[in-house]
Amino acid sequence: MLKIWHMKQKQVAADAAEGPAKRRVTAAQLRAQKDITEISLPSTMKMDFPDPDDILNFTLTIEPDEGLYRGGSFEFTFAIGSQFPHEPPKVKCKQKIYHPNIDIEGNVCLNILREDWKPVLNLNAVIVGLQYLFLEPNPLDPLNKEAAEDLKNSKDMFARNVRSSMQGGYVRSERFDDVRKR
Amino acid sequence: MKVHVQKYSAVATWKWDVAEDEVCGICRVQFDGTCPSCKYPGEDCPLLVGKCGHSFHMHCIFDWIGTESSKGLCPMCRQKFEFEES
Repeated sequence: MLKIWHMKQKQVAADAAEGPAKRRVTAAQLRAQKDITEISLPSTMKMDFPDPDDILNFTLTIEPDEGLYRGGSFEFTFAIGSQFPHEPPKVKCKQKIYHPNIDIEGNVCLNILREDWKPVLNLNAVIVGLQYLFLEPNPLDPLNKEAAEDLKNSKDMFARNVRSSMQGGYVRSERFDDVRKR
Repeated sequence: MKVHVQKYSAVATWKWDVAEDEVCGICRVQFDGTCPSCKYPGEDCPLLVGKCGHSFHMHCIFDWIGTESSKGLCPMCRQKFEFEES
């Protein structure tokens, strides 16, 4: 009947013959590509791609220009898995820092990276969320419980601890990385 | 004057009945394009309109509903994702 149906069937048959290995760009890559082109970074953040051919793994550096973490330079690794956007990107802080929502292994507690992730969120939303953690550390949802307690008990003491930790100093018996902006 | 039509070729186009520039919120591809797992747009890769009013490629939303973390909710509005069977 319709020629187009015939053409389509031919195409499908040809594709089947080529095998599925032919498709090089995955759904995760397609979506990540779109997200990355939409990202608009403020002057306080920058992205780096260690391997320019791999858009699924990159680093984000945040240098807050206000708040308690001003003057620091915080690096995060982003790893986008093959299930993206059905699963959130895996984000870790490369440095050991004193923060209520980031533990000393670098795991980040941000709702949209965990239970509140949904595929309509994009990488920009994650980046904005990370930036927000440095402006408004949240003691109610802690990963580093001691830091959260400090913040709840005394904002002044918490601010002093942040200062000394960022210089590579100790808070209690824990030594933190020097994250001062160079 | 009489004209005898001996032969004609009919051509038709189709599109999904959604706003022109709307994209699937999950894969961000236009609705008239395919979801990332299909090669050709059309009936093989249909849209699904939820009762909440949000539409997605059927394959995209099924992938999401199939994940445990979705809890069966619409990724746009977090209402339970239900659709009219037709």
